[in-house]
Amino acid sequence: MPRLNFWTVVMILTWLMLFVLLFIPVGSVLTASFYDQQGNVTIANYLKFLSEPRFHQAFFNTLVVGFGGLFGALLLGSIMAFCVSRFVIRGGKFVSLLAILALVSPPFIGAYSWIVLFGAGGVVRGFLRDMGINMPPIYGVGGILIVFSLKFYPYVYLMVSGALSNVNRSLEEAAEGLGLTPWQRTMKISFPMVFPALTAGGLLALIQAIADFGTPRLLGRGYNVLATEAFTLYSAEVGSNMSMATTISVVLILVSMVFVMLQRYVSRRNVYHGNMINKPIRIQLKGWRNVLAHFAVYFIGLCGALPVIISVIYSFRKTSGPVFQDGFALQSYERILFGLGDVVRNSLTFSMAAVALIVIVGTVVGVLVARRTNFNTALLDGAFMVPYVMPGIVIGIAFIAAFNTGPIVLTGTATIIILSIFIRRLPYTVRTTASSLRQISPSMEEAAISLGYSPFQAFLRITVPLIVPGIIAGGMLSFVTAINELSSSLVLYVGSTMTMPVRIYLLILDGDFGVAAALSTILLLLSGCAVYIAFRFMGRNEQALL
Amino acid sequence: MTRIALQALRKEYAGQVAILDLTLEIADGEFFTLLGPSGCGKTTLLRMIAGFNSIEAGTISFDGTVINDRPASERNIGMVFQNYALFPQMTAAKNVGFGLQTRKIARAEAERRVAEALESVRMGHLKDRLPGQMSGGQQQRVALARALVIQPALLLMDEPLSNLDAKLRVEMRDTIRQAQRDAGITTVYVTHDQEEAMAVSDRIAVMNLGVVQQVGTPAEIYRRPANRFVAEFIGKTNLLERDLVRQDGRALIDLGNGQIIDVTDMINPSASGRVQVSVRPEAVKAASTGLAAEVVDETFLGSHSQVRAQLVSGDIVEFLEFSQRSVLWQRGEKVFLHVDTNLLTFFDAASGMSIMAGAAV
Repeated sequence: MPRLNFWTVVMILTWLMLFVLLFIPVGSVLTASFYDQQGNVTIANYLKFLSEPRFHQAFFNTLVVGFGGLFGALLLGSIMAFCVSRFVIRGGKFVSLLAILALVSPPFIGAYSWIVLFGAGGVVRGFLRDMGINMPPIYGVGGILIVFSLKFYPYVYLMVSGALSNVNRSLEEAAEGLGLTPWQRTMKISFPMVFPALTAGGLLALIQAIADFGTPRLLGRGYNVLATEAFTLYSAEVGSNMSMATTISVVLILVSMVFVMLQRYVSRRNVYHGNMINKPIRIQLKGWRNVLAHFAVYFIGLCGALPVIISVIYSFRKTSGPVFQDGFALQSYERILFGLGDVVRNSLTFSMAAVALIVIVGTVVGVLVARRTNFNTALLDGAFMVPYVMPGIVIGIAFIAAFNTGPIVLTGTATIIILSIFIRRLPYTVRTTASSLRQISPSMEEAAISLGYSPFQAFLRITVPLIVPGIIAGGMLSFVTAINELSSSLVLYVGSTMTMPVRIYLLILDGDFGVAAALSTILLLLSGCAVYIAFRFMGRNEQALL
Repeated sequence: MTRIALQALRKEYAGQVAILDLTLEIADGEFFTLLGPSGCGKTTLLRMIAGFNSIEAGTISFDGTVINDRPASERNIGMVFQNYALFPQMTAAKNVGFGLQTRKIARAEAERRVAEALESVRMGHLKDRLPGQMSGGQQQRVALARALVIQPALLLMDEPLSNLDAKLRVEMRDTIRQAQRDAGITTVYVTHDQEEAMAVSDRIAVMNLGVVQQVGTPAEIYRRPANRFVAEFIGKTNLLERDLVRQDGRALIDLGNGQIIDVTDMINPSASGRVQVSVRPEAVKAASTGLAAEVVDETFLGSHSQVRAQLVSGDIVEFLEFSQRSVLWQRGEKVFLHVDTNLLTFFDAASGMSIMAGAAV
C-alpha cells in the first residue's frame, strides 16, 4: 500500500516540523524562564514576577487593555453588525470595505495617525484649541482603548454579521407567534444564536489586544503591558534580561490560553446551524431612527478607517526632512525609491517565501488531518492550536531562545523571519483546507476510482480542482498577514533583514511620519491587491479575513 | 457479463462484526438486490464488492477469478451513489465522458458513446449543464449514464433513489430497470425500501445484522418468507401466536372462536408447539361468517381502505377492503373475517424460523 506509506511519511515530517519550529522554541522559552542570567536553575524569575510591582502593574494593565479592547470591539462591532444586517443602510458594501480597511491596515500606523490628530500637537486638537475648546491629548490608557476598539471591531463585526444573516427568520416569527415582545425575541432567540460568533470575534479582539505592543508603546507614555515589558527586557541595550523576558512570555502564553479555553467553555453548548432559506429581511427605517443608524454605522466605519486615510493623505504631503510643509509632493515615495528599496524587497520576498511554504505544507497537512482520521491526526489538529495563542512577540523571543546557539543557528537570517511567519499562519491554512475537504463528499473520489482512476489520480483530478480556489484565496490572505507582520520580526530582524513594518515602526519612533505614511500606503496597496485576488477566487467573503 | 461469487465473506469494524461468513452467488446479467434495514451491512457488502472496503476473510470472485486484492480502479465497475457524486466542476457530458478518458478511447468514439448514454437516460438535451444546475432526478440520470457508458463488468448502486421524492422514485426505478435490461449488465442494488426492491429485482437477498436471511425472487420472499424477520420486513403482515395441535395424524391450529384450520399438508411433519401464523392483509376478507372481530379504525386510501379490527383473542388484524362501500367502517362495528388458508405462512414461535413444508431448517 504505497499511499499509506506516503501519508505516514507526511505525518512523521509534520510532527518533526512542529517539533523543531514549535515545541523546541516554546520549550526553550519555558526552560529559559527557569534559569537566571548566570545559568543556574531557579524559580527566581517567577518570584520576581510575583513580587515586583512593575510586573504586577504590567499584568494588570494587560488585562485592562485586553478587556477594554474586547468590550470596545464588542460594542462597536455588534452595533455595526446589527445595523448593517437588519436595516437598509445606503452603501452597505462601502461600510464593509471600511471595516476591511481597518482590519488590513498596517500595525502602528493606527496609533500614530491618532497622535497626528489628537496628540500633544495634534491637528484636530490644535484646531479645537483655536476655537477655545481644550481637550486632553490622546495619550494613556484611554487612547490605547480607543485605538484598540477601532482597530479590532471588524473581528466582531464580520463574525456577528455573518451569524445574524444566517438566523432563520421563521424562528423569530415563531417567537412572535408565541407572544414574545421584540425585546424578548432579541434576547431569547437571536442573541443565543449569535452568541458563539460574538465570543469568537471577541476572543480574536482580546488575543490581539493582549499581544499588541506597538500601540501601548506609542500611545501609552509609560503605560506598560506584558508585551512591552517582554520587548523592553529583551531589547534593552544595557542590561538585556533574556530570562526575565522569557518568563513574561510564558505568562503571556498562559493568559492567552486561559482566554481561548474560556471562550470554548462559554460557547460549548451554543452551536446552531444557520439556515440558507428564509433569511432575515432588512427593514427600511424612517425618520430620526434611520439617520441615527446611518450615523452610527458611518461614524464607526470612518473612525476605524481614519488612520489609513490619514496615512494615505500624509504620504503625499510635501516634507522638508521629517517636517511637513504645506502642499503636496511625492518626496516621501522618492525617498523610499532611493533609500528603502531593499526593505520593500525584503518584505515581498519574505512574505512570498512564507506564503509558498504555508500553501504547500498547509495543504498537505490539511489533507492529512481531514482524510486520515485517527488519534494521531486529532492530536496534530490540537497541536496546531498552539501557534494560534502565541503572541508574535513571544514567537520572536522563542525563536531567538531556540536558534541562537545549539545545533541550528538561525538568528540574523532571513530564514528565521520566514519560518516565524510560516509557523504562525500555518494553522489557518491547515484548518481551512481540512474543513473545505470535509465538505467534499468522499463518494466523489470513489466515483472516479470506480471509473478506473487510481486513488491518487482521483484526488488530483477531482478533489484538487475543487479546493484550489480556496487554497489560492487562503494564500492571498496569508500574504496579507505575512507582509503586515511586525511583532515577531521586530525581535528577529537585523539590519539586512529589515521589513517594511519594522521600518515603519522605526521611522515613527524617529518622527519621520512622511516616509512611514508612504511605506504604509504601499503596504496597504499590496494588502488590498491580495484581498481583491482572494475575493475574486472565492467570492466576496469577508469572514475569511479573520 | 459477469458472474459473482461471494464465499464466506467477513468484515469487522474495530472488533464489531459487520458481515458474518456471507456466501452468495449472483448470476450473469442478474439484477440482484441487497435489502435490509439501516445498519444491516448491505452497503458495507456493496463497498466490499466495489473494492472500497477491505475484506477480513473469505473471497469475492468475478467469473471464477478471486479479485480480493484487485484495486477498485481495476475492477471495471460502474457505481451509482446515493448522493449522485457528480463532479461539480464538469458538465453532464464531461462527467459521463470522464471514465472513457482513462480508457484511451478515440475522441470521436467517446463522444458518440457519451451522447448515446445521455440519450438512453433522456438527458441528451442537458449535456452542457453543470450538476448544480440540475435537479436531483436529472443528476441521478447523469450518474447512471456515467456508470453505464464504460460498459462495466458490474453495475453497483447504493440507494440511488433515496434522495428523490416519491413520484420521481417510481419513474427513476423504471429507467434504471430498463437501462439495466438493455445493457444486460450484472447489477447489485442496495436499498432499504422493500417495495422498490420488489419492483426492480430479479432476486433479492434480505439482510439483517450482517447475515443474509433469505435469497429469492420477489414472489418467493413475499410468499414463502424464511423467517419472521423477512415476513415482517417484506410487506405487511399480522402475526397471530397460537398452539399447533397434533390430533389423529392431522396438524390443527385454532385461530379463535372455533375457526380451526388444518395445516397438515402445509407444514413440516416435525413441527409442533407454539407457532406464529403470518396473515397477510390480502388474505383476510370481511364476510358473513368466520373470525369474530370488532372494527378499530379504517384508513381510506382511494382504491382501497386499510381496516384494523380486534379479534376476541385481543390480536389486532389489518386487512384490505376493496369493495367500494359508500359508508366507512365504524369503530366498534362487529365484523366476521374470512381467512384464505392458502396464503398463510407459519413460524416457530421460539426461533422465528419458517416451519413450512420444504423450508430449510
